[in-house]
Amino acid sequence: MRSLIDFLIKYSKWFVCLFYVLVSCILLFETNPYQHYVFLTSANRVSAECLSFSANVTSYFHLHDINEDLQLRNASLEMEVTQLRRQLRRLREDLKEESLRSDSIAPQFDFQLAHVISNSVSRTHNYITIEKGSLDSIEPEMGVVDQNGVVGIVNVVGRNSARVISLLNPKMRLSCKVKGRSDFGSLVWDCKNPHEALLEEMPRHERFQPGDTIVTSGYSAVFPEGIPVGTILSYENAHNNNFYTLRIKLFTDFTTLSTVRVLRNKLGSELSEISAGEEDE
Amino acid sequence: MTKTVIQFAILFIVLVLAQAIVFNNICLFNVAVPFVFIYFIIRLPITLNANWVLTLSFLLGLTVDVFSNTQGMNALACTLLAISRRGILHLYFPREDEISNPEPSVRSLGLFVYVRYLLTLTLLYCLLIFAIESCSFFMPVLLVLRVVCSTLLSFLLLLGLDILISQYD
Repeated sequence: MRSLIDFLIKYSKWFVCLFYVLVSCILLFETNPYQHYVFLTSANRVSAECLSFSANVTSYFHLHDINEDLQLRNASLEMEVTQLRRQLRRLREDLKEESLRSDSIAPQFDFQLAHVISNSVSRTHNYITIEKGSLDSIEPEMGVVDQNGVVGIVNVVGRNSARVISLLNPKMRLSCKVKGRSDFGSLVWDCKNPHEALLEEMPRHERFQPGDTIVTSGYSAVFPEGIPVGTILSYENAHNNNFYTLRIKLFTDFTTLSTVRVLRNKLGSELSEISAGEEDE
Repeated sequence: MTKTVIQFAILFIVLVLAQAIVFNNICLFNVAVPFVFIYFIIRLPITLNANWVLTLSFLLGLTVDVFSNTQGMNALACTLLAISRRGILHLYFPREDEISNPEPSVRSLGLFVYVRYLLTLTLLYCLLIFAIESCSFFMPVLLVLRVVCSTLLSFLLLLGLDILISQYD
Protein backbone atom coordinates (compact mmCIF):
# COMPACT_ATOMS: atom_id res chain seq x y z
CA MET A 1 0.00 0.00 0.00
CA ARG A 2 2.80 2.32 0.98
CA SER A 3 4.63 1.70 -2.26
CA LEU A 4 1.41 2.29 -4.22
CA ILE A 5 1.01 5.71 -2.61
CA ASP A 6 4.68 6.46 -3.25
CA PHE A 7 4.18 5.45 -6.87
CA LEU A 8 1.13 7.69 -7.18
CA ILE A 9 2.93 10.66 -5.67
CA LYS A 10 6.04 10.13 -7.77
CA TYR A 11 4.15 10.02 -11.04
CA SER A 12 1.33 12.34 -9.99
CA LYS A 13 2.07 14.82 -12.77
CA TRP A 14 1.37 12.20 -15.43
CA PHE A 15 -1.95 11.30 -13.81
CA VAL A 16 -2.89 14.96 -13.53
CA CYS A 17 -1.88 15.48 -17.17
CA LEU A 18 -3.90 12.46 -18.27
CA PHE A 19 -6.92 13.73 -16.35
CA TYR A 20 -6.81 17.16 -18.00
CA VAL A 21 -6.24 15.67 -21.44
CA LEU A 22 -9.29 13.45 -20.94
CA VAL A 23 -11.43 16.38 -19.81
CA SER A 24 -10.41 18.47 -22.82
CA CYS A 25 -10.99 15.55 -25.18
CA ILE A 26 -14.51 15.06 -23.81
CA LEU A 27 -15.17 18.74 -24.45
CA LEU A 28 -13.51 18.61 -27.85
CA PHE A 29 -15.37 15.58 -29.18
CA GLU A 30 -18.78 16.55 -27.84
CA THR A 31 -20.58 16.17 -31.14
CA ASN A 32 -24.08 17.41 -30.45
CA PRO A 33 -23.91 21.15 -31.12
CA TYR A 34 -27.04 21.90 -29.08
CA GLN A 35 -25.87 20.35 -25.83
CA HIS A 36 -22.95 22.49 -24.70
CA TYR A 37 -22.83 23.86 -21.20
CA VAL A 38 -23.64 27.53 -21.27
CA PHE A 39 -20.80 28.45 -18.91
CA LEU A 40 -18.25 26.86 -21.26
CA THR A 41 -19.24 28.95 -24.25
CA SER A 42 -19.06 32.65 -24.97
CA ALA A 43 -22.77 32.87 -24.05
CA ASN A 44 -21.90 32.99 -20.34
CA ARG A 45 -22.24 36.24 -18.49
CA VAL A 46 -18.64 37.22 -17.76
CA SER A 47 -17.35 36.60 -21.26
CA ALA A 48 -20.43 38.19 -22.81
CA GLU A 49 -19.82 41.36 -20.83
CA CYS A 50 -16.13 41.55 -21.82
CA LEU A 51 -16.95 40.85 -25.44
CA SER A 52 -19.76 43.38 -25.59
CA PHE A 53 -17.40 45.98 -24.12
CA SER A 54 -14.93 45.41 -26.94
CA ALA A 55 -17.72 45.19 -29.51
CA ASN A 56 -18.90 48.62 -28.37
CA VAL A 57 -15.53 50.01 -29.38
CA THR A 58 -14.98 48.08 -32.60
CA SER A 59 -18.52 48.31 -33.96
CA TYR A 60 -17.75 51.81 -35.28
CA PHE A 61 -15.05 50.56 -37.64
CA HIS A 62 -17.35 48.97 -40.20
CA LEU A 63 -20.14 51.53 -40.14
CA HIS A 64 -19.28 52.85 -43.58
CA ASP A 65 -19.62 49.46 -45.29
CA ILE A 66 -22.72 48.59 -43.33
CA ASN A 67 -24.34 51.88 -44.23
CA GLU A 68 -23.67 51.29 -47.91
CA ASP A 69 -25.14 47.79 -47.66
CA LEU A 70 -28.26 49.15 -45.98
CA GLN A 71 -28.73 51.86 -48.60
CA LEU A 72 -28.60 49.30 -51.39
CA ARG A 73 -30.92 46.94 -49.58
CA ASN A 74 -33.30 49.78 -48.82
CA ALA A 75 -33.42 50.81 -52.44
CA SER A 76 -34.14 47.29 -53.67
CA LEU A 77 -36.84 46.78 -51.02
CA GLU A 78 -38.50 50.05 -51.98
CA MET A 79 -38.60 48.90 -55.59
CA GLU A 80 -40.14 45.63 -54.50
CA VAL A 81 -42.74 47.32 -52.35
CA THR A 82 -43.92 49.60 -55.19
CA GLN A 83 -44.08 46.65 -57.53
CA LEU A 84 -46.04 44.51 -55.08
CA ARG A 85 -48.41 47.37 -54.33
CA ARG A 86 -49.15 47.79 -58.00
CA GLN A 87 -49.71 44.05 -58.36
CA LEU A 88 -51.97 43.94 -55.31
CA ARG A 89 -54.04 46.85 -56.60
CA ARG A 90 -54.50 45.18 -59.97
CA LEU A 91 -55.50 41.87 -58.33
CA ARG A 92 -58.00 43.67 -56.11
CA GLU A 93 -59.52 45.34 -59.14
CA ASP A 94 -59.78 41.98 -60.90
CA LEU A 95 -61.47 40.33 -57.95
CA LYS A 96 -63.67 43.40 -57.37
CA GLU A 97 -64.00 42.67 -53.68
CA GLU A 98 -62.04 42.55 -50.47
CA SER A 99 -61.57 38.80 -50.61
CA LEU A 100 -57.96 38.96 -49.46
CA ARG A 101 -58.28 38.71 -45.71
CA SER A 102 -55.39 40.03 -43.77
CA ASP A 103 -54.95 36.91 -41.65
CA SER A 104 -54.56 34.68 -44.71
CA ILE A 105 -51.26 36.38 -45.45
CA ALA A 106 -50.18 36.89 -41.82
CA PRO A 107 -46.44 36.41 -41.46
CA GLN A 108 -45.39 33.08 -40.03
CA PHE A 109 -42.10 34.55 -38.77
CA ASP A 110 -41.32 37.61 -36.74
CA PHE A 111 -37.88 38.85 -35.84
CA GLN A 112 -35.82 40.48 -33.13
CA LEU A 113 -32.77 42.67 -33.65
CA ALA A 114 -29.56 41.68 -31.85
CA HIS A 115 -26.04 43.08 -31.79
CA VAL A 116 -23.10 40.84 -32.60
CA ILE A 117 -20.51 41.04 -29.82
CA SER A 118 -18.05 38.45 -31.01
CA ASN A 119 -17.46 36.81 -34.33
CA SER A 120 -14.75 34.82 -36.06
CA VAL A 121 -14.12 33.83 -39.65
CA SER A 122 -10.59 32.41 -39.53
CA ARG A 123 -11.13 29.15 -37.66
CA THR A 124 -12.52 25.92 -39.02
CA HIS A 125 -15.48 26.05 -36.62
CA ASN A 126 -16.76 29.59 -36.35
CA TYR A 127 -19.31 30.88 -33.89
CA ILE A 128 -21.00 34.24 -33.35
CA THR A 129 -22.09 35.64 -30.00
CA ILE A 130 -25.10 37.95 -29.87
CA GLU A 131 -26.25 40.27 -27.12
CA LYS A 132 -29.72 38.79 -26.55
CA GLY A 133 -30.52 35.72 -24.47
CA SER A 134 -33.29 33.83 -22.76
CA LEU A 135 -34.52 37.06 -21.10
CA ASP A 136 -35.36 38.30 -24.60
CA SER A 137 -36.98 34.90 -25.28
CA ILE A 138 -34.24 33.69 -27.60
CA GLU A 139 -34.28 29.89 -27.86
CA PRO A 140 -31.96 27.31 -29.40
CA GLU A 141 -32.57 26.44 -33.07
CA MET A 142 -33.85 29.87 -34.04
CA GLY A 143 -32.61 31.14 -37.39
CA VAL A 144 -30.38 34.22 -37.64
CA VAL A 145 -30.20 36.48 -40.71
CA ASP A 146 -28.80 39.93 -41.46
CA GLN A 147 -29.83 42.51 -44.05
CA ASN A 148 -28.08 40.57 -46.84
CA GLY A 149 -28.81 36.94 -46.14
CA VAL A 150 -28.54 33.94 -43.85
CA VAL A 151 -26.08 34.11 -40.92
CA GLY A 152 -26.60 30.97 -38.81
CA ILE A 153 -28.65 29.16 -36.17
CA VAL A 154 -28.76 29.87 -32.41
CA ASN A 155 -27.36 26.94 -30.45
CA VAL A 156 -26.52 27.89 -26.87
CA VAL A 157 -28.55 30.46 -24.94
CA GLY A 158 -27.48 32.24 -21.76
CA ARG A 159 -29.50 34.80 -19.82
CA ASN A 160 -28.31 37.88 -21.67
CA SER A 161 -26.40 36.43 -24.60
CA ALA A 162 -26.54 33.56 -27.02
CA ARG A 163 -24.12 31.71 -29.25
CA VAL A 164 -24.92 31.23 -32.91
CA ILE A 165 -23.40 28.55 -35.16
CA SER A 166 -22.18 30.56 -38.09
CA LEU A 167 -22.76 29.42 -41.65
CA LEU A 168 -18.96 29.24 -41.72
CA ASN A 169 -18.94 26.05 -39.65
CA PRO A 170 -18.87 22.52 -41.07
CA LYS A 171 -21.32 21.44 -38.35
CA MET A 172 -23.97 23.61 -39.95
CA ARG A 173 -25.90 22.36 -42.98
CA LEU A 174 -28.51 24.54 -44.60
CA SER A 175 -31.14 23.29 -47.02
CA CYS A 176 -31.07 25.58 -50.09
CA LYS A 177 -32.40 25.70 -53.63
CA VAL A 178 -31.96 27.75 -56.77
CA LYS A 179 -34.47 30.59 -56.82
CA GLY A 180 -37.53 29.65 -58.82
CA ARG A 181 -36.75 25.92 -58.91
CA SER A 182 -37.83 23.15 -56.58
CA ASP A 183 -34.78 20.85 -56.35
CA PHE A 184 -32.80 21.43 -53.23
CA GLY A 185 -29.33 20.65 -51.88
CA SER A 186 -27.46 21.30 -48.69
CA LEU A 187 -25.09 24.19 -48.19
CA VAL A 188 -21.89 23.54 -46.25
CA TRP A 189 -18.72 25.55 -45.72
CA ASP A 190 -15.41 24.07 -46.88
CA CYS A 191 -13.24 25.98 -44.35
CA LYS A 192 -11.33 27.88 -47.03
CA ASN A 193 -12.76 31.30 -47.79
CA PRO A 194 -15.22 33.22 -45.57
CA HIS A 195 -16.98 34.57 -48.67
CA GLU A 196 -17.66 31.23 -50.36
CA ALA A 197 -19.40 27.95 -49.54
CA LEU A 198 -20.43 24.73 -51.33
CA LEU A 199 -23.94 23.65 -52.22
CA GLU A 200 -23.83 19.86 -52.36
CA GLU A 201 -26.18 17.18 -53.61
CA MET A 202 -27.82 19.18 -56.38
CA PRO A 203 -29.47 16.72 -58.81
CA ARG A 204 -27.63 16.26 -62.12
CA HIS A 205 -30.61 16.79 -64.38
CA GLU A 206 -30.86 20.45 -63.40
CA ARG A 207 -29.12 23.12 -65.46
CA PHE A 208 -27.48 26.00 -63.65
CA GLN A 209 -25.94 29.26 -64.72
CA PRO A 210 -23.20 31.04 -62.80
CA GLY A 211 -24.90 34.06 -61.28
CA ASP A 212 -28.15 32.29 -60.37
CA THR A 213 -29.43 33.21 -56.92
CA ILE A 214 -29.53 30.61 -54.14
CA VAL A 215 -32.25 30.92 -51.48
CA THR A 216 -33.30 28.87 -48.45
CA SER A 217 -35.69 26.04 -49.28
CA GLY A 218 -38.02 26.43 -46.30
CA TYR A 219 -38.02 22.68 -45.62
CA SER A 220 -37.10 23.22 -41.99
CA ALA A 221 -38.91 25.26 -39.37
CA VAL A 222 -35.81 27.40 -38.84
CA PHE A 223 -35.79 29.60 -41.94
CA PRO A 224 -38.74 30.67 -44.10
CA GLU A 225 -38.55 29.94 -47.79
CA GLY A 226 -36.74 32.38 -50.03
CA ILE A 227 -34.21 34.07 -47.79
CA PRO A 228 -31.25 34.94 -50.05
CA VAL A 229 -28.03 33.00 -49.42
CA GLY A 230 -25.72 33.70 -52.35
CA THR A 231 -25.05 33.38 -56.06
CA ILE A 232 -23.51 30.51 -58.05
CA LEU A 233 -19.86 31.03 -58.94
CA SER A 234 -19.12 27.73 -60.66
CA TYR A 235 -20.12 24.07 -60.54
CA GLU A 236 -18.29 20.80 -60.59
CA ASN A 237 -19.16 17.10 -60.56
CA ALA A 238 -19.19 15.38 -57.21
CA HIS A 239 -17.22 12.16 -56.73
CA ASN A 240 -20.08 9.80 -57.37
CA ASN A 241 -21.21 11.77 -60.45
CA ASN A 242 -24.89 11.67 -59.52
CA PHE A 243 -24.92 15.13 -58.06
CA TYR A 244 -23.47 18.52 -58.78
CA THR A 245 -21.53 20.51 -56.25
CA LEU A 246 -21.96 24.25 -56.71
CA ARG A 247 -19.57 26.88 -55.42
CA ILE A 248 -21.58 29.72 -53.92
CA LYS A 249 -20.59 33.30 -53.27
CA LEU A 250 -22.33 34.22 -50.02
CA PHE A 251 -24.35 37.45 -49.79
CA THR A 252 -23.62 37.85 -46.09
CA ASP A 253 -20.28 39.48 -45.35
CA PHE A 254 -19.23 37.66 -42.19
CA THR A 255 -16.18 39.86 -41.71
CA THR A 256 -18.26 42.98 -41.02
CA LEU A 257 -21.25 41.51 -39.21
CA SER A 258 -22.73 43.99 -36.71
CA THR A 259 -26.51 43.73 -36.30
CA VAL A 260 -28.48 40.60 -37.03
CA ARG A 261 -32.12 39.54 -36.86
CA VAL A 262 -33.20 36.46 -34.94
CA LEU A 263 -36.21 34.80 -36.53
CA ARG A 264 -39.00 33.32 -34.45
CA ASN A 265 -41.23 30.79 -36.12
CA LYS A 266 -44.72 31.35 -34.70
CA LEU A 267 -45.80 27.92 -35.87
CA GLY A 268 -42.62 26.31 -34.52
CA SER A 269 -44.16 24.58 -31.52
CA GLU A 270 -47.10 23.40 -33.62
CA LEU A 271 -44.78 21.95 -36.25
CA SER A 272 -42.62 20.15 -33.71
CA GLU A 273 -45.75 18.68 -32.09
CA ILE A 274 -46.83 17.35 -35.45
CA SER A 275 -43.46 15.78 -36.19
CA ALA A 276 -43.30 14.35 -32.66
CA GLY A 277 -46.71 12.80 -33.26
CA GLU A 278 -45.45 11.24 -36.49
CA GLU A 279 -42.54 9.66 -34.68
CA ASP A 280 -44.82 8.14 -32.06
CA GLU A 281 -46.89 6.31 -34.65
CA MET B 1 5.86 34.82 -2.56
CA THR B 2 2.51 36.64 -2.34
CA LYS B 3 3.87 39.28 -4.69
CA THR B 4 4.68 36.62 -7.29
CA VAL B 5 1.23 35.06 -6.98
CA ILE B 6 -0.45 38.42 -7.50
CA GLN B 7 1.83 39.21 -10.42
CA PHE B 8 0.95 35.94 -12.13
CA ALA B 9 -2.76 36.39 -11.41
CA ILE B 10 -2.65 39.81 -13.09
CA LEU B 11 -0.65 38.36 -16.00
CA PHE B 12 -3.28 35.60 -16.39
CA ILE B 13 -6.20 38.05 -16.55
CA VAL B 14 -4.43 40.53 -18.81
CA LEU B 15 -3.30 37.85 -21.26
CA VAL B 16 -6.72 36.19 -21.46
CA LEU B 17 -8.45 39.53 -22.04
CA ALA B 18 -5.85 40.60 -24.61
CA GLN B 19 -6.29 37.30 -26.44
CA ALA B 20 -10.09 37.41 -26.28
CA ILE B 21 -10.55 41.05 -27.23
CA VAL B 22 -7.63 41.84 -29.53
CA PHE B 23 -5.64 38.88 -30.78
CA ASN B 24 -8.57 36.53 -31.50
CA ASN B 25 -9.69 39.02 -34.14
CA ILE B 26 -6.34 38.99 -35.91
CA CYS B 27 -5.71 36.58 -38.74
CA LEU B 28 -3.05 37.85 -41.13
CA PHE B 29 -3.42 36.68 -44.76
CA ASN B 30 -5.87 34.04 -43.50
CA VAL B 31 -2.96 31.96 -42.14
CA ALA B 32 -1.18 33.68 -39.26
CA VAL B 33 -3.00 33.66 -35.91
CA PRO B 34 -1.22 35.11 -32.86
CA PHE B 35 -1.31 33.08 -29.63
CA VAL B 36 -0.14 35.47 -26.95
CA PHE B 37 -1.63 33.91 -23.83
CA ILE B 38 0.91 31.06 -23.78
CA TYR B 39 3.35 33.63 -22.41
CA PHE B 40 1.84 32.77 -19.01
CA ILE B 41 2.94 29.13 -19.34
CA ILE B 42 6.35 30.19 -20.60
CA ARG B 43 6.95 32.44 -17.62
CA LEU B 44 5.75 30.11 -14.81
CA PRO B 45 8.66 29.44 -12.40
CA ILE B 46 10.64 26.28 -13.07
CA THR B 47 10.59 25.37 -9.39
CA LEU B 48 6.79 25.33 -9.31
CA ASN B 49 5.25 21.89 -8.73
CA ALA B 50 4.39 20.16 -12.02
CA ASN B 51 0.81 19.56 -10.88
CA TRP B 52 0.32 23.28 -10.38
CA VAL B 53 1.82 24.07 -13.78
CA LEU B 54 -0.58 21.60 -15.39
CA THR B 55 -3.61 22.89 -13.49
CA LEU B 56 -2.88 26.54 -14.26
CA SER B 57 -2.21 25.79 -17.92
CA PHE B 58 -5.39 23.78 -18.24
CA LEU B 59 -7.41 26.60 -16.64
CA LEU B 60 -5.75 29.14 -18.93
CA GLY B 61 -6.61 27.09 -22.00
CA LEU B 62 -10.17 26.55 -20.80
CA THR B 63 -10.68 30.27 -20.17
CA VAL B 64 -9.45 31.14 -23.64
CA ASP B 65 -11.72 28.39 -25.00
CA VAL B 66 -14.72 29.97 -23.33
CA PHE B 67 -14.00 33.31 -24.97
CA SER B 68 -13.25 31.96 -28.43
CA ASN B 69 -15.80 29.10 -28.57
CA THR B 70 -13.29 26.34 -29.21
CA GLN B 71 -14.47 23.73 -26.64
CA GLY B 72 -11.39 22.15 -25.13
CA MET B 73 -9.02 22.81 -28.04
CA ASN B 74 -6.82 25.33 -26.27
CA ALA B 75 -7.19 23.46 -22.97
CA LEU B 76 -5.79 20.29 -24.54
CA ALA B 77 -2.94 22.11 -26.28
CA CYS B 78 -2.04 24.06 -23.10
CA THR B 79 -1.96 20.88 -20.99
CA LEU B 80 0.34 19.17 -23.48
CA LEU B 81 2.52 22.28 -23.67
CA ALA B 82 2.79 22.39 -19.88
CA ILE B 83 3.85 18.76 -19.59
CA SER B 84 6.60 19.20 -22.21
CA ARG B 85 7.86 22.56 -20.91
CA ARG B 86 10.29 21.15 -18.38
CA GLY B 87 11.79 18.73 -20.91
CA ILE B 88 12.35 21.46 -23.50
CA LEU B 89 13.99 23.75 -20.98
CA HIS B 90 16.21 20.91 -19.81
CA LEU B 91 17.26 20.31 -23.42
CA TYR B 92 18.67 23.82 -23.78
CA PHE B 93 19.70 24.45 -20.19
CA PRO B 94 20.83 21.24 -18.45
CA ARG B 95 22.32 22.97 -15.40
CA GLU B 96 18.99 23.70 -13.76
CA ASP B 97 20.35 24.20 -10.25
CA GLU B 98 22.55 27.08 -11.40
CA ILE B 99 19.60 29.29 -12.32
CA SER B 100 19.54 32.43 -10.18
CA ASN B 101 15.89 33.30 -10.71
CA PRO B 102 13.34 30.45 -11.07
CA GLU B 103 11.31 32.37 -13.66
CA PRO B 104 12.54 31.72 -17.21
CA SER B 105 13.60 35.07 -18.66
CA VAL B 106 16.42 36.66 -20.64
CA ARG B 107 18.16 37.57 -17.39
CA SER B 108 18.03 34.13 -15.79
CA LEU B 109 18.72 31.99 -18.87
CA GLY B 110 20.72 34.26 -21.13
CA LEU B 111 19.41 35.67 -24.40
CA PHE B 112 20.37 32.77 -26.68
CA VAL B 113 18.88 29.98 -24.56
CA TYR B 114 15.77 31.98 -23.75
CA VAL B 115 15.00 32.84 -27.38
CA ARG B 116 15.38 29.18 -28.39
CA TYR B 117 13.16 28.11 -25.49
CA LEU B 118 10.53 30.68 -26.47
CA LEU B 119 10.62 29.72 -30.14
CA THR B 120 10.39 25.98 -29.41
CA LEU B 121 7.41 26.37 -27.11
CA THR B 122 5.62 28.67 -29.58
CA LEU B 123 6.24 26.24 -32.43
CA LEU B 124 5.06 23.33 -30.31
CA TYR B 125 1.90 25.17 -29.35
CA CYS B 126 1.05 26.12 -32.94
CA LEU B 127 1.72 22.54 -34.05
CA LEU B 128 -0.56 21.18 -31.33
CA ILE B 129 -3.41 23.62 -31.85
CA PHE B 130 -3.53 23.26 -35.64
CA ALA B 131 -3.12 19.49 -35.43
CA ILE B 132 -6.07 19.32 -33.04
CA GLU B 133 -8.06 21.65 -35.27
CA SER B 134 -7.34 19.59 -38.37
CA CYS B 135 -8.68 16.42 -36.71
CA SER B 136 -12.01 17.37 -38.20
CA PHE B 137 -10.62 18.96 -41.32
CA PHE B 138 -7.37 18.16 -43.06
CA MET B 139 -5.46 20.17 -45.68
CA PRO B 140 -1.71 19.48 -45.41
CA VAL B 141 -0.31 22.51 -47.27
CA LEU B 142 -2.52 25.00 -45.47
CA LEU B 143 -1.75 23.28 -42.17
CA VAL B 144 2.04 23.67 -42.57
CA LEU B 145 1.64 27.25 -43.76
CA ARG B 146 -0.60 28.06 -40.79
CA VAL B 147 1.81 26.50 -38.30
CA VAL B 148 4.85 28.33 -39.68
CA CYS B 149 3.20 31.73 -40.09
CA SER B 150 1.42 31.60 -36.74
CA THR B 151 4.62 30.57 -35.00
CA LEU B 152 6.51 33.49 -36.48
CA LEU B 153 3.79 36.01 -35.66
CA SER B 154 3.28 34.73 -32.11
CA PHE B 155 7.03 34.57 -31.56
CA LEU B 156 7.53 38.18 -32.62
CA LEU B 157 4.65 39.36 -30.44
CA LEU B 158 5.90 37.36 -27.44
CA LEU B 159 9.39 38.76 -27.87
CA GLY B 160 7.96 42.28 -27.92
CA LEU B 161 5.83 41.53 -24.86
CA ASP B 162 8.89 40.14 -23.13
CA ILE B 163 10.91 43.30 -23.73
CA LEU B 164 7.97 45.38 -22.50
CA ILE B 165 7.60 43.38 -19.30
CA SER B 166 11.31 43.07 -18.53
CA GLN B 167 11.53 46.86 -18.40
CA TYR B 168 9.19 46.87 -15.39
CA ASP B 169 10.99 44.09 -13.55
